[in-house]
This record gives sequence, structure tokens and C-alpha cells, in this order.
Amino acid sequence: MSELLQIGAQRPKAPRPEELTLRFSDKAVAELEALKTHYPDLKSCILPGLWIAQREYEGWLPPEAIAEVAHRLNRSYAEVEGVATFYTMYNTAHKPGKHMIEICTCLSCQLCGAYRVVDALEEKLGVKLGETTADGMFTIHEVECLDACDRAPVLQIGDEYVGPVTPDTLDAVLDKLRKTDKPSSVQLADSVVKVHLRDGDK
Amino acid sequence: MAERKLLLEHAHDPAYVTLKGYLDKGGYNGLKKALKMERQAVVDEVKASGLRGRGGAGFPTWIKWNGIEKDKKNPHYMVCNADEGEPGTFKDKQLMEQTPFTMIEGMTIGGYATQADCGYVYIRGEFVDAAKAVRKAIDEAYANGYLGKNIQGSGFDFDLYVHMGAGSYECGEESALMSSLMGERGMPRLKFPHAPLPTVAGLWDRPTIINNVETYACAPFILDKGGEWYATLGASTKNSRGTKVFSVSGHVNKPGNYEIEFGTTLGELLDLAGGMKGGALKACVPGGSSVPIINAEDCGKAVLGYEEMAEVKSMVGSGGCMFLNEHTCIVNFIWRTSLFYANESCGKCTPCREGTQWMEQILSRIVRGNGQPGDMDLLLDITKQIDGRSFCGLGDAAAWPVAAALRVFPEEFEYFIKNGRSMVSGPATDAMTPRWALAAGV
Ligand SMILES: Cc1cc2nc3c(=O)[nH]c(=O)nc-3n(C[C@H](O)[C@H](O)[C@H](O)COP(=O)(O)O)c2cc1C
Ligand code: SF4
Ligand code: FES
Repeated sequence: MSELLQIGAQRPKAPRPEELTLRFSDKAVAELEALKTHYPDLKSCILPGLWIAQREYEGWLPPEAIAEVAHRLNRSYAEVEGVATFYTMYNTAHKPGKHMIEICTCLSCQLCGAYRVVDALEEKLGVKLGETTADGMFTIHEVECLDACDRAPVLQIGDEYVGPVTPDTLDAVLDKLRKTDKPSSVQLADSVVKVHLRDGDK
Repeated sequence: MAERKLLLEHAHDPAYVTLKGYLDKGGYNGLKKALKMERQAVVDEVKASGLRGRGGAGFPTWIKWNGIEKDKKNPHYMVCNADEGEPGTFKDKQLMEQTPFTMIEGMTIGGYATQADCGYVYIRGEFVDAAKAVRKAIDEAYANGYLGKNIQGSGFDFDLYVHMGAGSYECGEESALMSSLMGERGMPRLKFPHAPLPTVAGLWDRPTIINNVETYACAPFILDKGGEWYATLGASTKNSRGTKVFSVSGHVNKPGNYEIEFGTTLGELLDLAGGMKGGALKACVPGGSSVPIINAEDCGKAVLGYEEMAEVKSMVGSGGCMFLNEHTCIVNFIWRTSLFYANESCGKCTPCREGTQWMEQILSRIVRGNGQPGDMDLLLDITKQIDGRSFCGLGDAAAWPVAAALRVFPEEFEYFIKNGRSMVSGPATDAMTPRWALAAGV
């Protein structure tokens, strides 16, 4: 069965209010304040707030991150968790490896050989879709259409698309990533937060 | 007919993403004209153009713009649907990356016509490059008096914000998009006639216009050159006017976006994309994964237009055109289509939540070689239970491709179920088959 159909792993419980330690940096707090001026209410800041949290918490959203967003936006934990778990780009189930490689196997990519790229990737890294390599370097996932089908088969790595890829070009992609310092999920979250902010907000 | 470039004319010119480059090519002439007109005259110009929504449904744009209360009591909003997620479609991505000002100008024109206070561009979370280009363009427009207070001295104020999604196809559905923008799970809301239209109560219960990126990008050209001029494009069709960007992918030599006038044939579009790769044409999904698949014979007859495509029992949709060559296994392809919908169903309503899973399970057992005699009837029955009974369009969109494939290529399903392997074989089919199915002996 496809990895995408498996339900997320069991999540730990939410921290109690007295256990809450706030971890947002000053920069993150300022960004959230700027974002609040973009919408008429605080609830609408949940999605961008979660993006900030995903960057601040090293590329994923542990219960503490969700609790912090809920606290800062004056929403309940349950509400924010409900939102976070709906969207696939928030990593709520587990902390991903340093680099997340998301491979599109949807229609155009399927037609252009994405499943052979999946095989090659699994073989080269010694892990299956959804797993992380033992050294914590790579996590691989299958995703739905990235809407870059002219470059099929396509990978999404952090805030970049790579494609078309073939089993033969994967080594170069992996080598480059091994030399990249910033974790992909942090890079992605950072870029997403930045595009929200106007010149006047900075 | 060849390409007819309007939106994409300057797409590959790197200067066009800067305000100066855009102005050099006649950018913002449309807005400048609009700001001197009565609001209603702007709507009438869009009406004369015959512009229909490019997001998939083809709804006349002017009706939405005209439906906003004229006697403004509360804030009005504009939303741009840039959550492009339909498999096979990648036009909004290019439009935002290479021609961001056309969309921004179009939203500003719409904002003026409908007295909007501000607009939101809802961009899918994966589209960082597109969002960066839009961000830069918005900042430049602000700095030069094309956004913000008193735009070009007209007294009209308009703010524009970027809001990023976080991975959900369903958020492209307009009411789900608004839920998501308001900080909720991306689930759709009750629709007209059971609830007010978004033009009456949309974002934060205020009058709201929501259009696709490409729809907005057409507005500057309509205002600059006139609605009547725009309507001369595509005049050979029944009711489709202007140009349309089609994203061509799959087994073609030159995948990419091609802008054509409505009335161009599907065959001409295939020629533009460099023709078939790896074998002769077998089938085409002409408008994104949701639309019914057609066989090679119908491809030869198909004319690209909203009504014209109905004659081959398919649709223009969002313009995500995928071509399949003769070595493609249709059963495998449709299984993957059903997996997409099973993954993306939001889970709100039973027919779609359960039905999409069932279709995927039945199709995957066929692909594994374990198909059972009644499976085709069972699948057809499920499509009928979903179609028209789902809360939003995703359910219908999940049912159509399966129903169409069963109708157009029944022999492939029969063969696969009977023999436990695909009727077609060869490199193209091997390449598209997941390993677990290959192991089962496709
Ligand atoms: C499941 C589903 C997904 C959709 N995805 C998109 C999308 O990605 N982009 C888009 O513009 N419209 C999408 N739509 C259509 C929108 O609901 C809506 O019709 C469109 O944004 C209206 O804009 P238009 O009139 O300019 O086409 C989708 C509809 C459904 C039912
Ligand atoms: S049709 Fe599907 S996506 Fe739409 S509301 Fe129902 S479950 Fe959700
Ligand atoms: S199918 Fe992979 S990018 Fe569209």
C-alpha cells in the first residue's frame, strides 16, 4: 500500500500550561506581530504561525510547537493541532531527517518513470518511503502532483524543485545535499515565512 | 492554428518580472484606463470580453464581479486562487514566476470594480519560487504607487497580501480555500442555494470575489484593448473567448505551457508540444486529472472550447493536458488517479471519503493481479454513488475519470481482471508500474 495512505503515528500528549516554555526567537515574535496586521482576526494567523513554528522548532511541529502557536494566538491547543494535522507540509508525525526528499509519483511523473526513481532512491539510501536513514541525513516521502509536470519526474527538496530526475542523476542530487548545511524543512519554512512579509513589515 | 500569446508573450523576458520592464511593455495601461472609468463600466468591459474562469469551472467572470453589493456597507475582499494543485496543470506557476504583474494588475482592476479594500493571493505552500516572484512584484508595486493608498492619484486604496497554503489539494476548492485562509482545516463550506454566495458572504462573512490566477491575468488585456477586441479571440467557438494556457505533459517531446486561442484543435496543441514520444497516441486527459479520458480517435476530433469538449465527453478543466502513448497501461494510470483522490479527500462527507478509498482498493487489487469478476460493475456502481452526492466537487472529480476509463477502455480492465496482468506491455508500462505491482507480474 502507498505510504501516503498510512495514518500518522501516535502523537505524544500536549504539554500542560505550566510546562510550556516559549521558544520563539525575537525575530519570530516580530514576524508574528507583523502578520497579525494582515488579517482582521488572530485565527487567520494560525497557518503562517505554524510555518514560523516549523522553522523555530528545527523543521517540525512537536506538541510544544503547537502549544506555543496556540498560546501566542490565544487559541486552544486542540484547534491548532486540528489545523496542523490537516496539511501535509506541516511535519507533525515525526521529526524528519536533515534533508527531506519528496518524490512526486502522481500522473505525469508516473508516466515519466517516477516509480523507477523511487526504487533507485530506496536502494541507494537503504530505506523505504516514509523512513529516515540511520545517520539521520535523509527522509524520503512520496507526494502528490507538485505541479511541475513539464519537469517530470520531479523531486521537492526544501524550497527547491529538482527535475527531471532519473535513477542515474540521483547521486549528484544526494551528494549536493550531503554538503548542504541548512536542513531542508527549516529552509522551506523560512522561505515560506519570508514571502508573507511586506517590505514595510521588516 | 499556432500559438496565440497574450499572457505569455513576454514570459521569457527576465525584465518582465520587474515593474520597469512590465511598464515598458504596456503594463498597467489597463489599470490606468480602469481608474478613469465608472466601476460599472469596468464590469461591463469584462462582460463584453466573454471571459470565463480559468480555474476549472469556466464560470463567467463578470457575473461574480457584478454580484458584489454596489452600495458598500462592509469591507469587500478579493482572493486569488493560486493553490494550483490539479495533476497535470502548471500554468499558474509559470504565470506567477514570469508574469507576476499581470495577476497583480488584474486583481487591482477587480478590486477597483468591486470596491474591495484588500486582496489575498493564496499560493500553494510548495510554490516558493512563484511566491518569491509575487512578493517582489507586490513590494515594487507598493513602492511605486500601484498598490496601497491612493493608487496613481485616483483616491482608490488597495492592499495585497500573500498567504501560503501548507499542502492540500482540496484547498483549491474555493470555499475550502477561504476556510484555510481564515485559519481552519481546508474543508469546504455549504454552498448556494443552501448558503449565500461568496459575493454576498465570503471571507470573514464579507462580500468576496475569488478567481484563478489566469483569470485575473486576463483583466489587464481586456481593459487595455477592450472587451470587444478580446471577444474576437476564440470567436469560432460557441461560447469560449480569448486565449487559454494549456499545460502539456506526459509522453510528449516538448512538455510545457502553450497559450492558444480557443477553437484550436487538440491535435494542434499536441503538435506544439513536439508530438508524441515513445509511440503513437493512445489517449489524452485534456484538462487535468479530474476530466474524463478520451481515446485517440476522439483526440482527432476534439476542439478546445468549453462546449466543444463536451462533444467528445470531456472538458477544458484547468488545462492540464496529459498525453499517453500506445504502450501505456490505462488500468495502472487510472489506479494512480484514484490514489490521488483517496489521498486528497478531505474526509468531510461519506460518499467521497469512503468511495475514493474503495475505488483505490479495488483498482489496486486489479493492478496486483487479484481482480475479481464483478469488479468493473462494482467500480461503476461506486462512481455513481459518489458523483452528484458529494459535498464538493472533489468527489465528482474522483468519480469521472474512473467512469470514463471504464467506458472508453473496457477491454483493458476485462483483460487485466481475467488474466491478472496488463493487456499492454513494454518499457512505458514497466516505467509507470510500482514495484509491488511489477512483482505481482503485470
Ligand atoms: C477539488 C477542487 C479543486 C480545485 N482546485 C483549484 C485550483 O487549484 N485552482 C483554481 O483556480 N481553482 C480550483 N478549483 C476551482 C475553484 O473552486 C473555483 O471554481 C475557482 O477558483 C474560481 O475561479 P475562476 O472563476 O477564475 O475559475 C477547484 C475546485 C475543486 C472542486
Ligand atoms: S467531496 Fe471529498 S473533498 Fe469534498 S467535502 Fe466531501 S470528502 Fe471533502
Ligand atoms: S505529476 Fe509530478 S509534478 Fe505533476
